Amino acid sequence: MDFTHRLELFPGCAVTLLLFERLRNAAALRQKAMEGSIEGALINPAMIVDPFQILVAANKAVHLRKIGKMKTRTLYAEIIFSLSPNNNISDAFKKFGISDTDTAVLIVLVADGEKTLNLEDIVSQVEGQQVSLDKLPQLTDTAKIKKMYKVTPQEEKIGTLLDSIVCRMSTKDVL
Amino acid sequence: TAQEARSLLRCRRAGISAPVVYFVDYVTNSIYLEDIVDSITVQDHINAIQQSGNDSSSLLILAEKMGELLARMHDEDLIHGDLTTSNILMRPPIEKLDLVLIDFGLSFISGLPEDKGVDLYVLEKAFLSTHPDTEVMFKTLLKTYAATSKKSGPVMKKLDEVRLRGRKRSMVG
Repeated sequence: MDFTHRLELFPGCAVTLLLFERLRNAAALRQKAMEGSIEGALINPAMIVDPFQILVAANKAVHLRKIGKMKTRTLYAEIIFSLSPNNNISDAFKKFGISDTDTAVLIVLVADGEKTLNLEDIVSQVEGQQVSLDKLPQLTDTAKIKKMYKVTPQEEKIGTLLDSIVCRMSTKDVL
Repeated sequence: TAQEARSLLRCRRAGISAPVVYFVDYVTNSIYLEDIVDSITVQDHINAIQQSGNDSSSLLILAEKMGELLARMHDEDLIHGDLTTSNILMRPPIEKLDLVLIDFGLSFISGLPEDKGVDLYVLEKAFLSTHPDTEVMFKTLLKTYAATSKKSGPVMKKLDEVRLRGRKRSMVG
């Protein structure tokens, strides 16, 4: 049911994704995330088109943490920030993080060998139903994503939506 | 590296086929790109066609596609800087003539017809020196380029000038 993937560039790191539907305590979770009492990134699944998108964000976050160049304060905040096509941190949280009225949440956990993950601990804090990552496409809001990332129509012809998004995520700090 | 990443993104936004950027590492100055599997370079393709003695009319259509692609790139004011037939890939299936531009390490942004003319000149030299008997092919490429690009007039003029002067003078930029 969960989805775990090792980062190619950082083989010690494993990224785990958990998807929950019928969420009832979004507000409480968001509060906990802001306080830092949840060891994971709480992401709005509507803005995610494919798990690879998360992997790219996580990869970048881990890299930046390693070289001490994170823009945010925690690794999990950095992952959310990396998802955003612009350099505004609070905007990233608003758009990609969960809001109080969300009914679904995607939780991203990173285990880098130093700390062991406590999945049960996280799952117990979520008042919702854990479902398989296969259901992610159903929750995706393609129109919103296209608008957010400003994907042009010509672009859609030469690649997938995922391609466009990943390109923008990875080159964001160069532009 | 930063310039290369910027150029790749610019291509994508304009709908020009180029590899997707997965990750940019500024520390080691490396860019992780999409791996375009089972592709061959235009260079290999032309060689294969010529060697097998096959009908080269398909090469003319390829030339048209190339002209179109380059015209769109230049219309975005993107100068490749190292146009050769080994820097253009063909995604399978080959018959679809789905071209992908790669290697933007020497690229830059410029609206000057001079720079675009030089870009085409570099390709012309690479073309004719690597592939014998392809003058007609290149002519077709230029024709389609002129037809596709809205700003091709001045570029063509500059290309003629550059041909006369020789490359060294115009690479001063």
